[in-house]
Amino acid sequence: MTLFGIAARNIGRNKLRTTLTVAVVAISTLFFIMLRTVVWSWTSASEFAAKDRIATRHKVSFVMQLPKRYAEEIAQMPGVTAVCYANWFGGKDPKDENDFFATIATDPASLLKVYPEIKTSEAQKQAWIADRRGALIGDSLAKKKGWKVGDKITLAGSIFPGNWDFNISGIYTTTTTNVDRATVWFHWDYLNESLPERSKDKVGWIVSNISDPGASGRISKEVDAKFDERDLQTITMSEAALNQSFLGMFSAILKAIDLVSVVMIAIMGLIVGNTIAMGVRERTNEYGVLRAIGFLPKHVAQFVLGEALVIGIVGGVVGLALGYPFVNLGVGRFLEENMGQMFPQFRVQPQIAVMAFGLALGLAVVSAILPARKAASLQVVESLRRVG
Amino acid sequence: MSENNGKSDIISLSKVGKSFWRGKERLDVLKDLDLTMKEGSFEALMGPSGSGKSTLLNLIAGLDVPTSGSLKVAGSELSQMSEGDRAGFRAANIGFVFQTYNLMPVLTAIENVELPLLLTNLPAADRRKRAETALKLVGLGERMGHYPRQLSGGQEQRVTIARAIVTDPKIIVADEPTGDLDRESANDILNLLGRLNTELGKTIVMVTHDPAAAERATICHRLDKGALAL
Repeated sequence: MTLFGIAARNIGRNKLRTTLTVAVVAISTLFFIMLRTVVWSWTSASEFAAKDRIATRHKVSFVMQLPKRYAEEIAQMPGVTAVCYANWFGGKDPKDENDFFATIATDPASLLKVYPEIKTSEAQKQAWIADRRGALIGDSLAKKKGWKVGDKITLAGSIFPGNWDFNISGIYTTTTTNVDRATVWFHWDYLNESLPERSKDKVGWIVSNISDPGASGRISKEVDAKFDERDLQTITMSEAALNQSFLGMFSAILKAIDLVSVVMIAIMGLIVGNTIAMGVRERTNEYGVLRAIGFLPKHVAQFVLGEALVIGIVGGVVGLALGYPFVNLGVGRFLEENMGQMFPQFRVQPQIAVMAFGLALGLAVVSAILPARKAASLQVVESLRRVG
Repeated sequence: MSENNGKSDIISLSKVGKSFWRGKERLDVLKDLDLTMKEGSFEALMGPSGSGKSTLLNLIAGLDVPTSGSLKVAGSELSQMSEGDRAGFRAANIGFVFQTYNLMPVLTAIENVELPLLLTNLPAADRRKRAETALKLVGLGERMGHYPRQLSGGQEQRVTIARAIVTDPKIIVADEPTGDLDRESANDILNLLGRLNTELGKTIVMVTHDPAAAERATICHRLDKGALAL
């Protein structure tokens, strides 16, 4: 029998209250893991970017377009081995317009060259290249929509109005997690030929393969210098930097997530503190007896902090036990398959798990400091008098 | 300790006063009290409510300090002692028996008895052995694994007494030890306290309202308005 053992047994005295408190700690731990994983996954997306790719866009904004001939000129530059270009199409499934998936117009042959991690069979690849209305779709999206090779689908254009018909030529998967598996890729020519003259031959961004990943900075500067005197200037950066600049648009969201995780932990602390305080109030006479038979104020404080520690340990363990399958097998799998570019890897990281468990323990103990001090400072005679 | 009839004084109060403040009003609960108790005696404190008997018991037990005067218990001057030192004094010298038992409900009988021994350096096996001995001494050798809720009031009070003697203190202070018990159980508890006094030589100081309980004491002190009544 030890003081800590007695403290641990004390939490079993009000089983409902203890269960609810442990549940609060566990749920807070789970959501902390979830939110921190969102932030980690989002901010680390750039780490998963290919090192041998650079991206070029309009100097002012993503939404402004560049002439297609820029891609042809970049392809001629030293150090550049392949180039592809793309336009964000913004297509939606008319049957379910709230179901988001990326639809991008590109040049099929150069896309598959620049993005070797996009894999499909040779037959499907050739079929896609040959069919002007052909589309290559991610396996995750195909599974979700029930689409298969040979199907004809119609998408409603949100940026380019009208109904657009496509033939599914192939289904791709990826060998890395930095490209999502829920995109519809289709022929840029098909889009371009349908546009009015003034909108023709424009691209949203250009992605280039370079022979030396270490030279990405230099080549990026050379690309931008090339177009510096033109009407439309460019900004070129590594794929990682591109991801980060994209991330910058969501910095407010990330800060909000950070804030929410802190607020949630603070609420958890208050709830645990309240539970411990109630326990202290109910056991005042017992603390009085302990003090009477020779225990010191520090021992009483240890009893209280011990109870909080046990609640933190149990709640933290339950939170982790729920967090791993919930994130790794549930939310994480969905996000990786459907939003791979933003969340290339959405898994609980050991450092996040350790931080969550440490916070559950630390906050449980910190929240018990005031009740512990109160219990330790009780006057023995006063405490015993409350017995009756 | 002064000697008298072969027994020394184990408790000695000289001009002890104890006052409390209720707002701006000062309440003199004990007034210039002079009292001695011999080692190995069994003494009762009686008096009407508010007479100061529980306050006196708290002072003797080292739970509180007098406002004035000198208070010497088991060779220690308590009036100048710090709270920490008094806690050590209580652990070493005083066994407590409360009216409402005050056992920890999450601990079994033997664990409750073992509790004060956690403050010692005894190994776990020795602690357990001592607790068993104390429980057997109070007649609860068969109930060691029972929780307080599984015991009768008389049995709970026996566990409290076992807890009080497990550290082998010189003095046992009992605050209305039979107050919550029926007559038969009360008699058992008083018999047990009597045995601790006569067979083990424990000094027992007992606050009681019960004349039958007070009759078991060798000396009965009556308090009235903070002073000993003649």
